[in-house]
Amino acid sequence: MDAIIVRNLRRVYKSSDGIIKRKVKEVVAVEDVSFEIHQGELFGLLGPNGAGKTTTVKMLTTLLIPSGGSATILDLDVVKDAGKVRPRIGFIFGGERGLYWRLSALDNLRYFASLYYVDTQVARKRIPELIELVGLQGREREKVEGYSRGMRQRLHIARALLHDPQVLFLDEPTMGLDPVGARELRTTVKNLQSANKTILLTTHYMFEADALCQRIAVINKGRIVALDTPERLKENVQDLSVVEVEVYGMPPDQIEKIKTLEWVVEVSLENRDQVQVLQVHTPKGAEAIPMLVENLNGLRLGRIITREPTLEDAYVRLVGGAK
Amino acid sequence: MLHWILWGTDMMERISRNTRIFFEGAFYSYKALFRWLNPATYLASKVLAPLTIMIFFVFIGAYASGSNNASFYVIGNSLIFAASSGIFGVTMSVGGERWTGTLPYLFGCPANRGAMFIGRAFMHILDGMLGVFIGLGWGILLFKLDLSQANPLALLLTILVTTFSTSGLGLLMGCLSLITRNVMLVNNTVYFALLIFSGANIPVEELPAWMQVIANGLPLTRGVACARTIIAGGSLTEIMPLLKEELLIGIILTILGYFLFKVFEIQAKKLGTLDIF
Ligand SMILES: Nc1ncnc2c1ncn2[C@@H]1O[C@H](COP(=O)(O)OP(=O)(O)OP(=O)(O)O)[C@@H](O)[C@H]1O
Ligand SMILES: [Mg+2]
Repeated sequence: MDAIIVRNLRRVYKSSDGIIKRKVKEVVAVEDVSFEIHQGELFGLLGPNGAGKTTTVKMLTTLLIPSGGSATILDLDVVKDAGKVRPRIGFIFGGERGLYWRLSALDNLRYFASLYYVDTQVARKRIPELIELVGLQGREREKVEGYSRGMRQRLHIARALLHDPQVLFLDEPTMGLDPVGARELRTTVKNLQSANKTILLTTHYMFEADALCQRIAVINKGRIVALDTPERLKENVQDLSVVEVEVYGMPPDQIEKIKTLEWVVEVSLENRDQVQVLQVHTPKGAEAIPMLVENLNGLRLGRIITREPTLEDAYVRLVGGAK
Repeated sequence: MLHWILWGTDMMERISRNTRIFFEGAFYSYKALFRWLNPATYLASKVLAPLTIMIFFVFIGAYASGSNNASFYVIGNSLIFAASSGIFGVTMSVGGERWTGTLPYLFGCPANRGAMFIGRAFMHILDGMLGVFIGLGWGILLFKLDLSQANPLALLLTILVTTFSTSGLGLLMGCLSLITRNVMLVNNTVYFALLIFSGANIPVEELPAWMQVIANGLPLTRGVACARTIIAGGSLTEIMPLLKEELLIGIILTILGYFLFKVFEIQAKKLGTLDIF
């Protein structure tokens, strides 16, 4: 059974600037997005900045009215039945805002428990369990303003679980966490799924989606550009290999030139410390190295390697490489 | 028959659940606003700050009017303290949600919006009443304010109704500040308007006609008049008509505030402005 069904969802933002001559600008943030999430599935929505992930989650959590299309959660329409959807879902938006900083974790949770009509007796038992689950025990009486970013983010997770919702929306839950904190949070998310919750997770990180999700939808510029299991997404790029070249001071027009070469499928350029790393996806494998070097003449080059494509490369290919 | 029993129990349950939201929301939002103050600073802000304001207006007033009528200013400004809790406190409690970034979480929860919204005023009504008592207390201590003629119950009722009506204004202002994203500007304007129009410091009869019209539309004006009548020895029946109007103003403002809050919620979901700050 599908817990979430999204059909041709669309959202346009209107913004106006200029004081005298008001020019209304329209941004299509989400365009024709459709997918289903099965009951108990952990589903990833992956995409670069501004792709439309948060906008999609806002519409599904009744916080934003779609400009078109429809969505249901547990067979309830997110617009018409918003009042019935709300008690059945929990959600967090990445980052540390959205808590009362002058209250303790306990008080924050108690207040939200009342807003979700959680029975007082139930809340009394559940709140310490949730504090334990997200690893805040011992600090729960301190004011949130003294918490680290990671602690606040974990408190958000506890808040979202207060009313034991069947469906969870986690918008970039690991945003801004250190690697250890992010890994712990991923374990928590994994455990939630074992508790048979349906979870929609958004992230920038391919490996995160790969490690957690059964299926991934890649969204770019408001549209879904791929939707499959992580394995199948990788197969998309299996016929290619990646040549990585360290370069110094690559001019942008040269990237454009390389993109047009017949044996090049995708190009991306990444800045690492002092050096830029040019990644070229090609079916030619190591044969491509001399041809590539020829096209980079005049530039100072560093290490050159060829490697098997990863899921990251599949993603880069889907959302377009050179940023 | 069974149908009605079920309906009745369902209603009762709803009322009890929403009562909880009302009071817990009142309590936690108040705590969230004031917990940065330690007890000493809190007390100072409640007890000492009013004293300075009171001294200021009593002396300015005596100087300007040339008479020695301290009670007039003491009573007026004591009730102004109710208004400052009602307006600043309630506005911060509602409008501050934009700053904490809690709006998406509040509007994404199933809680009854009326209980959630109007509950915000509750603690500030108590707080405002306390402010009035402290103001009157300073009056007795320092300015020979005489309460011996006052009917205590009528005075208490006047203070309660006036604090309620100004907190109704606070709810409305709170919503406006959610919409305009400018808490302080809106607040200060209204607060100074009350200082001028309410009769707390300038007798309403001495204002130009057009200002009197405004004064009579605002909360607080009637409350101040009632308090003066009561303290001068007037009876409850004497002030009842004015007090009823003050109450009505409070109810109208609260209802307006609630509707504005609902409109804000709907608009924000349409325009996508919930978490812009
Ligand atoms: N309230 C708003 N008003 C106007 N435009 C908006 C608003 N919110 C988002 N947008 C625009 O909509 C597009 C999609 O934004 P959205 O926040 O959904 O992206 P995202 O995938 O969540 O990005 P990120 O990874 O950076 O969080 C962007 O172009 C953004 O500028
Ligand atoms: Mg986002």
